[in-house]
Amino acid sequence: MTEVDVQKPVVYGEKWCSFCRALQELLDSLGVVYEYKDVGREDNKAEMLKRTGGHFLVPTFVIGETVIQNPSVEKVKELVDMPEAKEETTSDRETHDAVMIGAGPAALSAAIYTTREEIETVLYEKGVIGGLAAITDWVDNYPGFPKGLSGMDLSEGLRQQAERFGADIRLGEVTKIEDEGEYKKLTTTDGEVYAKAVLIATGSDYKRLGIPGEDTYYGRGVHFCATCDGAFYKDKRLVVVGGGNSAAQEAVFLTRFATKIDMLVRSDKLRASEILQQELEKNSDKITVHLNTTTDEIVGDGTSVNKLIGTDKESGKQVEFETDGVFVFIGLKPNTGFLQGSAIELDKIGMIKTNHELETSMPGVFCAGDVRSGATMQIASATGEGATAALMIRKYLEEHERKHTS
Amino acid sequence: MPKNITIFTTNTCAYCGMVKKWLGAKGMNYEEVNLDEHPDRQKEAMELSGQLTVPVTVVTKQDDSREVIVGYNLGKLAPAVA
Repeated sequence: MTEVDVQKPVVYGEKWCSFCRALQELLDSLGVVYEYKDVGREDNKAEMLKRTGGHFLVPTFVIGETVIQNPSVEKVKELVDMPEAKEETTSDRETHDAVMIGAGPAALSAAIYTTREEIETVLYEKGVIGGLAAITDWVDNYPGFPKGLSGMDLSEGLRQQAERFGADIRLGEVTKIEDEGEYKKLTTTDGEVYAKAVLIATGSDYKRLGIPGEDTYYGRGVHFCATCDGAFYKDKRLVVVGGGNSAAQEAVFLTRFATKIDMLVRSDKLRASEILQQELEKNSDKITVHLNTTTDEIVGDGTSVNKLIGTDKESGKQVEFETDGVFVFIGLKPNTGFLQGSAIELDKIGMIKTNHELETSMPGVFCAGDVRSGATMQIASATGEGATAALMIRKYLEEHERKHTS
Repeated sequence: MPKNITIFTTNTCAYCGMVKKWLGAKGMNYEEVNLDEHPDRQKEAMELSGQLTVPVTVVTKQDDSREVIVGYNLGKLAPAVA
């Protein structure tokens, strides 16, 4: 028998004894780890009598040097507050080797690496598994897929691969991270969990315009997800706002449904890649690009959208576009709201700062993908950074183990 | 446990997949109306949700009262099906 076992509290009880059950429930609720011995068995009964000096009364509670029979709730609480009992209690916490916040391409890639190396890993996803990639219609530039693939298929593949090696993907949200030294304490929508290492890969979300009408018609004329809501615009007119890759890609996708699309671009040129610009050109029967055009107001009749008002920056004149809906893709904002007031350092635009090992200002907390300061907002970069972060996590855990065992 | 659950979806909507996945993990049955396959039912989804979006999840409770949840919103979905 090891020393720890000697220290473990013991409850001697009998099946029919409700006080014994009450004591067990109390200890369970306090998180105390103890051993239950049924005195219906002769050897347990003899052991108990030896400890109580011959007094047969259950429940008998033995903790450290103390032997007490049928103790009060207050007395139990007082007794379990002993240091050795406390230590047992902390081992009852939910702990993990690695917790990843987010389950987009960066976190899923990292999880493929960690779980494959038998680093036990849990992921928390508050939105869609696969993140923004999952709601992207088509991904043409992800290496290894010569014909391209749908964002949904890519996400599903990453998920399956991570789960194959044992990643535990939970649908929930992490709202807080605190550094408690060896472990980081994470507050989640399902309670507190502790992790030796953490990866923040919460990615980014589409920015909103912040103009009149946007909130009024949100979800019924103003949209941020073409794959979700495009189908409602069959044979209708649409406006797409933005000139980057997302705007171009989603405008092309929306030609499946809409008869006419006005694409409004604030600057004097498209930021979208050459190949996507060619796609726009190919669809010029449906898509008209308006450069140097701001988006100022979305107008409707109270239930649905019928017009968008903008300004032609060259002439300074107001321009109007008749439309049934507006899809907005004007860039990304990092999902770091939950880190406000935490010890993790952010840059000026709210993205997470890391060193060259992708570690944040909180030791043992790493960051990868769109949310990392300096990110290139590419799926291939996110998966690559995820792999790097996983290797850094492995290195951190190894160094950490050595420190705690030496 | 609700009496029945209907989800309005489209082929390309990832959030629809999440609602189905979440309900599936809870061991709940649901009826799916795919609006790409049944465009005639778009109007119904719009009237129920007041929005032009999917997923729209309609939870009919034991007392026949109905709750409509728009989007993948666990904060609303979880209590609705409890």
